Amino acid sequence: MAAETELMQAAKPVEHAEEDPREHLMFDPRPREEMNRMIMEAMTTTTRRYWIWLIGLGLAVAVLLFGAWGNMILTGIGIAGLRRPVFWGVFIVTFVFWIGISHAGTFVSAILRVFKAEFRRPFTRAAELMTTFGLAAGALYPLIHLGRVWVFYWMIPYPNARWLWPNFRSPLVWDFLAITTYLLSSTIYLYLPLVPDLAMARDRTKGWRHTIYKILALGWRGTEAEWHRLRKAIGIFAFAIIPVMFSVHTIVSWDFAVGMVAGWHSTIFGPYFIVGAILSGVAAVVTILYVLRSTMKHFDYFIRVEHFDALGKLLLVFSMAWAYFFFNEYLVSWYGGDAAIKQVLTLHATGPAAWVWYTMLICNIAIPWLTLWNKTIRRTPWAMFIITLLINVGMYAERYTIIPLTLGHQRSPFDWGIYNPRLTEISIALGTLCLFMFLYLLASRLIPLVPVWEVQEGQMAHRLRKVGKARMPSVTELEE
Amino acid sequence: MAAKVVHLALFKEEQIDHAAEAIGRLHELGISDQDISVISGIPYSERILGRPMSWTNIGRIGLAGAVLGFLVAAFLNFGTPLLYPIRVAAMGLTPIPTAIVVTFELTMLGLLISTFIGVFVETISPSFGPKGYHPKISDGHIGILFSGPAQLDEKIHTSLSELGAELVHEVEEEKLWL
Repeated sequence: MAAETELMQAAKPVEHAEEDPREHLMFDPRPREEMNRMIMEAMTTTTRRYWIWLIGLGLAVAVLLFGAWGNMILTGIGIAGLRRPVFWGVFIVTFVFWIGISHAGTFVSAILRVFKAEFRRPFTRAAELMTTFGLAAGALYPLIHLGRVWVFYWMIPYPNARWLWPNFRSPLVWDFLAITTYLLSSTIYLYLPLVPDLAMARDRTKGWRHTIYKILALGWRGTEAEWHRLRKAIGIFAFAIIPVMFSVHTIVSWDFAVGMVAGWHSTIFGPYFIVGAILSGVAAVVTILYVLRSTMKHFDYFIRVEHFDALGKLLLVFSMAWAYFFFNEYLVSWYGGDAAIKQVLTLHATGPAAWVWYTMLICNIAIPWLTLWNKTIRRTPWAMFIITLLINVGMYAERYTIIPLTLGHQRSPFDWGIYNPRLTEISIALGTLCLFMFLYLLASRLIPLVPVWEVQEGQMAHRLRKVGKARMPSVTELEE
Repeated sequence: MAAKVVHLALFKEEQIDHAAEAIGRLHELGISDQDISVISGIPYSERILGRPMSWTNIGRIGLAGAVLGFLVAAFLNFGTPLLYPIRVAAMGLTPIPTAIVVTFELTMLGLLISTFIGVFVETISPSFGPKGYHPKISDGHIGILFSGPAQLDEKIHTSLSELGAELVHEVEEEKLWL
C-alpha cells in the first residue's frame, strides 16, 4: 500500500515554479507621472560622493590627460616609448580600444530596435551615450599620436605647396570619414529619441535647466506629426547606422590589414575586429548598467536582473564568435608557413610578453565560457560587473598583442625590438578613461538616462494572456 | 480673421479607448479632422485613434541627402585625380575599390545628416491645426485639441465629459521654443 501511494505521488504532474512576471520591467508598470518623477529625481540628486568623484575625475583628466599630453607637446614625442621598430604603441592600442567600445553602444540599441527586442527599452540611451563619449575619447588619439599636433591640418589633402597630393582615397581619409560619420550619426541617434524626454524635463524644471531643456526639446508637444516624424527618422537611423558601424571598425582593421606587415595582412581582420568591438562594447554596456543601477536613485526599477541576463547571453555568443575568428585567423596564418608570421605567432605565445597573449585568451574565452552559461551568474549584477571588466581587460590585451607585440618582430631580425610604454603614454591612456567617466558622470545629471516614453510604450504593449492554465506574456504591435 | 478658439480634452493614459471614442464623437458633431489635433506622451498610431495618416517628407529629404553625399564622393574620387593627376607606374588614376569606401561613407553621411536636418526643418516649419499644450501630456495623458463653433460648446462639453475627459477651455498657444 505504501509502495502504491509512492507510485501515485510520483505520477502526479510536477508543479512548475512559475516566474513572477513582475520581475520584468514590461510587466511591472507604473504610472508615467511616477516614472517621470523617478527619472527627474535621479537626474537632480547629487550627493557629496557624486561631487567628490566628479571633481576627482576632472582633476585626473586635467593632470593625466591634458598635463601629460601638454608635456609631450612641449618636450617632443621622444618622451613616449615609441622607438624603431615600434612606432604604433599604446596610443594606437587605446585608439582601437575606444573605437571598439564605442561601437556596441549604438549597435546594440539599433539592432535591438530593428529586431524589436523589448528588453532593450530602458538601457538604449545609456548604451548610446557610451558610443558618443567613447568616440570622443578615441578621436583624440590620432591627434595625440601625431606628436606635432599643431600642424594636424597638413594631413588634409587639399591642394597645397607641401608636396602632399590631393588623394582622397588613402586609408587615412577612410579613417577620418568613417569616424566622423559614426560620431555625427551616433550623436544624432542619441539626440532624436531624447527629444520627448527633454520636453518632459522642460515641463518639470525651472531656471537654467529649464532654459537648456526648452532649447534642446525644439518646442516638442507630442503631436501626431511630431511622433510620426520622429519614428520615421529613428527608423532610418536604426537601419542605416548598422552598416555604418560595420564599416567603421572594418576600416580601423584595414589600417592594419592593408599594410604588408606579418600578422596584419589578413583578409579576416574586418569581421574579426567587428566581433571584438561588439564583445568589448556589450561588456562595457553591462559594466555601465551595473554602475548606474548601483549609484543612481530608482535605477533598480528600470535596470533589472533580466537585462544582465539577456546581455550575458549576448556576451557569450560574441565571445564564441570572437574565439572562432581568432582561431580562424591564427590557423590560416600558421598553416601558410610564412617564416615571419610563424615567428610572430611563436613570440606571442612564448616571448617575453606572452602573459599579454594568455591574458587575452583567459579573459575573452575562458572566463566568459566558464561563467556565462550559468543563469545564476548572469542574473547576479556584481558578478556580471567583474566578468565584463575582465572581458575588456582581455580586449585591451588583444589590441596590445596585435599592435606593438606584432610590430616588434617583423621580417628583418636585425630590426627586432621590444616596446615598453612610458609613463606619458600610460598617463594619457588612463586620462582618456577618466575623461570618459567624467563626461558620463556629468551627463548622468543633465539628461534623462532612461527613455521614459519608450518604457511606457513597451509597458502598454505588454500584457499577460491566459493560455490554458498558464499566464503567458503577449506583446501588441502598437507601431503599425 | 480672428483666431479660432481651441479647447483641450485630456484623457488619462489608460483611457485610450475613450480618447478614440471622443474623436469619433467630435466627428459626429461636425468637427472635421483638420480642426482636431492629438497630442500625447507616447506615440499612438493613427489607426488606434481613427485619425488620418500624418505626412512627412523626411524620407525624401534623406534620399536627397544620400544623392548629394554620393555626388560629393564622386567628385572627390574621380574629380580630384583628374584635376591633380599623378601617374605612378601601372597604377590606375581612379581606382574603383578605394573609391567604394569613400563613396559609402559619404553617401551614408549625407543620408543621416539630411534626415536630421529634415526633422529640424519640419519641426520649425509652420504647422496647421489647433495648437496648444498641457504639461500633463508628458505625464502620459492623451490630449485632444479641437476648435469648433461656439454654439456646439455645450454639446461637446457634455459629450466629452461623459467619456471621462478633463476639459480645458480656450487653450492659449504656449511658446515652447525660442
